[in-house]
Amino acid sequence: MHNTTLDSPQLSRRSLLKVGLLGSALLGTAGLTATLSGCSASTPKAGFAVLRESDLPFLEALIPVLLEGAVKPAQMPAAVGATIENLDYSLNHLSPEMLKLTVQLFDVLALPVTRGPLTGIWGSWQNASKVDVQQFLQRWQTSSFDLLKMGHASLLQLVMMAWYSRPESWAHCGYPGPPVV
Amino acid sequence: MPVPDSFKEGLARGWKTYNGSRLDADLPLEADVAIVGSGAGGGTTAEILSAAGYKVLLIEEGPLKTSDDFKMLEDKAYAELYQEGIGRMSKDGAITIMQGRAVGGTTLINWTSSFRTPAPTLEHWAKEHGVQGHSPEEMAPWFERMEQRLGVAPWAVPPNANNAVISRGCEQLGYDWQVIPRNVRGCWNLGYCGMGCPTNAKQSMLVTTIPATLDKGGELLYLARAERLLIEGDQVTGIECLGMDERSVTPTGRKIRVKAKHYVLAGGGINTPGILLRSNAPDPHQRTGKRTFLHLVNFSAALFEQVINPFYGAPQSIYSDHFQWDDGAAGRLSYKLEVPPLQPALTATLLGRFGIDNALRMEQLPNTNVMLALLRDGFHPDSAEGRVELRGDGSPVLDYQMTDYTWDGVRRAFHSMAEIQFAAGAKAVLPLHADAGYVKTLKEARQLIDGLELALYRTRLGSAHVMGGCAMGEDPQQAVTDSLGRHHQLSNLSIHDGSLFPTSIGANPQLSIYGLTAKLSSLLAERLKNA
Repeated sequence: MHNTTLDSPQLSRRSLLKVGLLGSALLGTAGLTATLSGCSASTPKAGFAVLRESDLPFLEALIPVLLEGAVKPAQMPAAVGATIENLDYSLNHLSPEMLKLTVQLFDVLALPVTRGPLTGIWGSWQNASKVDVQQFLQRWQTSSFDLLKMGHASLLQLVMMAWYSRPESWAHCGYPGPPVV
Repeated sequence: MPVPDSFKEGLARGWKTYNGSRLDADLPLEADVAIVGSGAGGGTTAEILSAAGYKVLLIEEGPLKTSDDFKMLEDKAYAELYQEGIGRMSKDGAITIMQGRAVGGTTLINWTSSFRTPAPTLEHWAKEHGVQGHSPEEMAPWFERMEQRLGVAPWAVPPNANNAVISRGCEQLGYDWQVIPRNVRGCWNLGYCGMGCPTNAKQSMLVTTIPATLDKGGELLYLARAERLLIEGDQVTGIECLGMDERSVTPTGRKIRVKAKHYVLAGGGINTPGILLRSNAPDPHQRTGKRTFLHLVNFSAALFEQVINPFYGAPQSIYSDHFQWDDGAAGRLSYKLEVPPLQPALTATLLGRFGIDNALRMEQLPNTNVMLALLRDGFHPDSAEGRVELRGDGSPVLDYQMTDYTWDGVRRAFHSMAEIQFAAGAKAVLPLHADAGYVKTLKEARQLIDGLELALYRTRLGSAHVMGGCAMGEDPQQAVTDSLGRHHQLSNLSIHDGSLFPTSIGANPQLSIYGLTAKLSSLLAERLKNA
């Protein structure tokens, strides 16, 4: 997850500046900034193996948008909590290199200095609307920058896999669960 | 009725195993033959060498999980039994790579499809890649031997509805289709082969060759990563292994030093080139890790009126090779058509999109079929190919570069799958691509597919078959080993796994690995006797 070459022919000078300076440089330094500024704790939140306090606001904004339609509104808060729990379990089993990249991605999303320019969400995640989150996902998916397209794919896969591993998700997709052996 | 856990019973009888996560001190181990990797190649090699009287040590990076542990739950299985906790991807993150990592390797989690190496593949290797002695006639007895050993037979039970889409559609169109041979005995037809067989019906290495090795006094070291080969001149003098924590994520700090007369690498594509690169093994022609192939896979979903329940029943039982050799072995990129099992977590990531779009697709899971195309990469000079490199921490990663030739194969495969799905009675078809939605007629599907921008990330791509990277062949300028798996530069090192293949196989590769490594191991046993 680190092909940072800027070889896309469509990449304009402006987007190159935008992505090149604010993107790859900030991706690399987000972790450092986080440590120095104390904005993003490097230790997991109590009860979690990997996820930090700073990861939760964007996950809590992102997950309801990804699961819309699959979960009834009244059950969404519980579903978000369950998804985060499973996500933490999966992250704790990734290889160190894949985990490092995922943590960098989360840092980029959590830190205001990178979040604004790269996601278009300038305020806090708590204040982001559904449309804001959809636009951010759209922007990353259609970005000319591989790193953002990769980030988009990773977020979707991590969250969908975490939720649909949970038995409480199965009624929606008509899956009766594994048979008894 | 509870299923007896035969592996646990063996342990109780006194099988010799070492858990690398629980060592109080560094551990020296000795054997006649040390084998890195306990999957198809390592397991087969271990059984044959231990039956020939050699003391064998099997080294496995992943955990020891047995039938009692297999709960048919995706999250647990993916985290415990797959490489990198199922996070393995091509370097650019665009291709998900599913490989096993536990005692039994990928044989523990594969879908049991067992094909002999196709004759055109073996002939291509002889003609283009300097492979000697592995003609279809010369290989046949080895495939037969392993088919008998592992209970390989065409699936006699009717296919589940997901697989029946292939036979019904092909029948309508006059296309060729066949029943898949599977390595099972007493299969319950559950459908959870990808999460570890809970009934020990799948004849994986966990229930066949590894028990046979341990019964003969062989030993098993698990949760231990073979970090590097120690090399002096043209000899391997030892293997340095790292004890891993019980997740197989972080080294514990304990080391295991393994000494043997002969060493066999069987970690599969990606991991076997990885240890050679980490060890700075001699590689004068820079061949290690080059020409790695994936059977790159693209997918097509279809909706049916009738219930498919694609999460239940033998995952793969029908295939079509109608297109496989349609332009010869080395012509345009062709493919084998099969289906994947569709348990919900993996399916949600396959079907794509998010929110309402994904929810609607998932809601129809019981009526959904997904077909896949295994693209036969590596036969044409313009084929996409991969190269194994090391990341900063020494772990291997595959840089797989797509080409126009390969994208053309992806597009034709989308067409073939949609055609067969509609012929089988699908009411809508969805090529799995970010820009596609379900379409209701073949005409619309053709238009849609012709207009798709085939690009990384937008096209859902995966792989479950990593092949090549340590190609065999008589020319050291092209190959890492000779045709018998002997390393061209290191005299007491062999490679016995799918990394030997000079191209992809053109069929699910497990029986190709069993047959070839059975032959190589039998010849190695003879050579060691005379050494």
